[in-house]
Amino acid sequence: MNKLKTAVSIGVLSIGALAITAHAETLSPEKVKEKAATCAACHGADGNSGTEAQAMYPRLAGQFHDYLARALHEYKSGERKNAIMAGFASSLSDAEIDALARYFGEMPSKLDDLSRHEQGSD
Amino acid sequence: MTKTLLACALTLVAASSPSLLLAADAPAKGDAKAGKALVYTCGGCHGVPGYMNAYPNYHVPRIAGQNYDYLVAALTEYKSGERAHPTMRAQGESLSDQDIRNIAAYLSSVSK
Repeated sequence: MNKLKTAVSIGVLSIGALAITAHAETLSPEKVKEKAATCAACHGADGNSGTEAQAMYPRLAGQFHDYLARALHEYKSGERKNAIMAGFASSLSDAEIDALARYFGEMPSKLDDLSRHEQGSD
Repeated sequence: MTKTLLACALTLVAASSPSLLLAADAPAKGDAKAGKALVYTCGGCHGVPGYMNAYPNYHVPRIAGQNYDYLVAALTEYKSGERAHPTMRAQGESLSDQDIRNIAAYLSSVSK
């Protein structure tokens, strides 16, 4: 009986582990890069919105990925209103939002921690 | 007569180039030095390494080094309530348009 319980438990755990693995592997690096090409028009290929024409758009490179994901979810739900971003975000799945947020979050950043720039410092 | 012609020519130029008029109306860029004094408040959340927004949980964004125009737009949207976030709305409401430009000037000046 104990053996049966153990076998069932292992079975359930394996299915759970498989489900998690499958979820994490939904987007290949190539696919993420392909998706990110759309963002590059405004946010730059390096994610830094560095040209004069891109100055009105936020830098994404090096931003916290969970903040970027939150922003995309808010655009998707309409909680945060922006005509351009609503169009893009509405077509993204949760997995794509997560992958894109990590992709830009890991890029070399021009953003810095504010703690290094408060009163008494430069 | 020459003066009248010149005035007419200038009027025509102005009328045909709305961008010139807009450029004249655009507020001057903020003063980074004045902004630095105001940024002290922002540090309470944005200057604490690893600080998280609660419910929902996510890191408060890095704002030092962000683009000037975007920072002005974001703070203005918080101030008007167009962008909803209780803490940032309260901060935005306490700031004048000039304060917002000054803060944006300082924050954008410290990009890496």
